[in-house]
Amino acid sequence: MKETLLTLTGVAKSFKEIEALSHVDLEIKSGQVIGLVGGNGAGKTTLLRLMAGVMEPSKGRILFQNHPVSSMRRNLGVVPESTGLYSRLTAWENIRYHSRIYGIDDEVAWNRVTHFAKMLDLTDALSRHTKGFSRGMRQKTALLRALAHGPDILLLDEPTAGLDVTSARTVRKLVSQLRDEGGTVIYSTHHLAEAEQVCDRIVIVHNGSIRADGPPEDLLKLTNEKSLEEAYVSLTSDKARPRIEDDNKESKIAKWWRLFLTGRTPKIKEVDESE
Amino acid sequence: MSDSWRFITTIAKKEVVEFVRDWRTLIALIVIPLLIFPALFIALPLLLQSEAAELDALDLDVVWQGDYNDELSVAFNESNIVISYEEMPIGLENLSDIGSDLDRIRNQEAQAVFRLLEDESGWKFSILYISTSEASTEARARMMTAISEWESEVVNGTLVEANLDPETTLNPVKWDGNWENADAATKGEQAGLALSLFIPMVIAIWTASSAIQPSIDMTAGERERGTLEALLCLPCSRIQLLAGKWLAVASITSAGVALQIGGLLFAITYLASSSIIGVPSISTMSILLLLGAVVIFAVMVVAFELALAMKAHSVKEAGSLLGPAILFIIFPALFTQVINLDSIESWWFAIPLVNILLAMRELLLDRIIIEHVAVWLTSSIVYAGMAAWFAARQFNREDLVASIS
Repeated sequence: MKETLLTLTGVAKSFKEIEALSHVDLEIKSGQVIGLVGGNGAGKTTLLRLMAGVMEPSKGRILFQNHPVSSMRRNLGVVPESTGLYSRLTAWENIRYHSRIYGIDDEVAWNRVTHFAKMLDLTDALSRHTKGFSRGMRQKTALLRALAHGPDILLLDEPTAGLDVTSARTVRKLVSQLRDEGGTVIYSTHHLAEAEQVCDRIVIVHNGSIRADGPPEDLLKLTNEKSLEEAYVSLTSDKARPRIEDDNKESKIAKWWRLFLTGRTPKIKEVDESE
Repeated sequence: MSDSWRFITTIAKKEVVEFVRDWRTLIALIVIPLLIFPALFIALPLLLQSEAAELDALDLDVVWQGDYNDELSVAFNESNIVISYEEMPIGLENLSDIGSDLDRIRNQEAQAVFRLLEDESGWKFSILYISTSEASTEARARMMTAISEWESEVVNGTLVEANLDPETTLNPVKWDGNWENADAATKGEQAGLALSLFIPMVIAIWTASSAIQPSIDMTAGERERGTLEALLCLPCSRIQLLAGKWLAVASITSAGVALQIGGLLFAITYLASSSIIGVPSISTMSILLLLGAVVIFAVMVVAFELALAMKAHSVKEAGSLLGPAILFIIFPALFTQVINLDSIESWWFAIPLVNILLAMRELLLDRIIIEHVAVWLTSSIVYAGMAAWFAARQFNREDLVASIS
C-alpha cells in the first residue's frame, strides 16, 4: 500500500508583499512520479524549495511523515536547476562530498552511484573534473549525487532543461526506472509532453496557485479537452504574472542610480493606424 | 564523531581541497607569503649596495666660486669631484643666495656650486644644490665630508698653536665604556621592540587581505556558480555551513600568516645584517597569549568578511564591498604603531582592532599586564562574537535561496 510521504497543508509563501504561492494543499504518496507543470514564474521552483525544506512557508505547514520537512532533509534528494557542481572536484568527489554530509559510508555510496552511473552511461566520467562537462553530464552527475544516499523522495527542478535529446531521454528513462523500483519523484517542468510521458500525476501551477492536480486523463475530463496542451491552456487562461524577483531585487538607491546613469527606457508610442 | 562536527569538518575539508587545487591561489596565499620577507631581506640590501656603489663611482661636476683653498681642492679631487673655477658672482646678499646660478643647478649643468670666502673672521662657505637630485645631494654630501675633515685639521692646528690639547679641549665630557652595555634590555627584548613595530601590522593586514579571496569564493562565488542551493538542501544547518566555511577560510589564512611569519623569522635569523633586528625572547605565556590574540582576530575578521561576502549577490559586488573594507584594518594598524605603550590607559585595549594590535605589541615586548590582558581578551571575544552573529544572520537570510534563480 502506498504511504503518504509529504503533506502540504494551506501552504503560502510571500516575499515581502508579493505572494509567490497561495493555498497549496498537496499529498505526495510513495511510488509516484509527480510533475509540477507551469510557465516561467508560476511558482514551481518556490514550491520545490519549500518541499526541499530550504525555505519556510509563510503560512501553512509541510510535513514529511508527520515531521517538519526542514528536519527531514536527510530523506530527500534534490537536484536544483543549476545542478550545483564544483568544477575543481571530480564527479565522484562532488557526489562523495554530499554523501558524507548525509553520513553515508564512501563504499556504500560508491556502490549505489556505480549502479545508477551505468544506467546513465557516466561510469567513465566519475573520475574526471566536472569543469569540462556538458550540460547533460552535469545533470546526470547531479542526479547521481542526489541518489547516492538513497532518498525517499527525489526532487528535480527542470531536469531536462537545456539537455540534448539523448540526455533528456536518458534522464526520463532513469525517472521511470526509479518509479518502477518504488521510488518517488517530484519533477518540475514546463514541457507538457514530457510530463505526460513520465508522470503518473500532474500538478498544474499557475500564478502561485495549483490549478489542477491528478493523472493526465483526469485533467482531460476536468476540462473536457482532447489534449493535455488544450487542458493546460484552458486551466491557465488568465495572464501570467511577471517574475516576482525582477523588480523586487532593486533597492530605491540602486534604481535611482541606474536611472541617473542610463535614463529611462523609452515608452512604446501608440501608433494611430489611420495616419 | 558528532553529526555537527562531521558536517563542519566535511565542509571545511572540501573547501580547502577545492581551494588548493588552483595553483594561482597556492602561489598567492602560500608561496608569496613564505618568500616575501626572505626575498626582501636579500634583494633590498643588494639593491641598496648596488645603488650606493653606482653613486660612489660617479664623477660629479662642481663649480667652485670665490677664494681658493689648496687643501680643500685636493680633498674634493680625492672624492671624485671635478671642479671648475669661477669668480664669485657680484651682488649676493650672502653666500647662500642662489642668484643667477638657479637655472644651471635646476638643469643639472653642474651638480652643485661651492662658494668659499676668506675674511678677517675666517672662512665662510655655502653649497648650492638641488635636494630632489640624488647626484646633487651626493655632491653636497661628499663636499661636506671633505669640509668637515678640513675644518677639524684647521681647528686642531689652531689649538696646537695655542698650546692646547685638541682632545681634552674639544671633548671634555666623555662616555665611559661601551654604551651598548648600559642598556638594561636584552638583545631579545630589543628585537621584540623592533618587531612589535611591524609584526602586528603585518599579521593584521595579511590576515584581512588573504581572507578576502577565499571568503568571496566560498560565499558569493557559490551563489554565482549556483552551487549554494544544492548545499542548502543538505541536512546540515546554516550555522554548521558557516562554521565549516569559516574553518576553511581561517585555516587557509592561518597557513598564509604562519608561513609569512616563518619566512620573516628565517630572514631575520639568517639573512638580516642589522644588529637591531633579531629573534625576540618571549616567555611561553606571552607566546600563548599572542597565539590567542591572533586566533580571536582571525575569528573576527574572517567571520566579518564571510558575512559581507554573503551579503553580496555576485563575486564582483563582494569584491567591491571587501576591497575598501581592508582600509578599516590598515588605518587602525598604522595608528596603533605610534601609540606609546608606557603608562597606556586600559581603555585603549577595548577599542575594536586597536586592542588586538596593542596586545600583540605588548606581548612581543614580553609585557603581561593582567588588567590589559583582561580588557583586550574580553572585548575581543565580544567583538568576535558579534562578527560571528552578524555572519550567522547573513547565512540565515531567506533570500540567499530566493535570489539565486
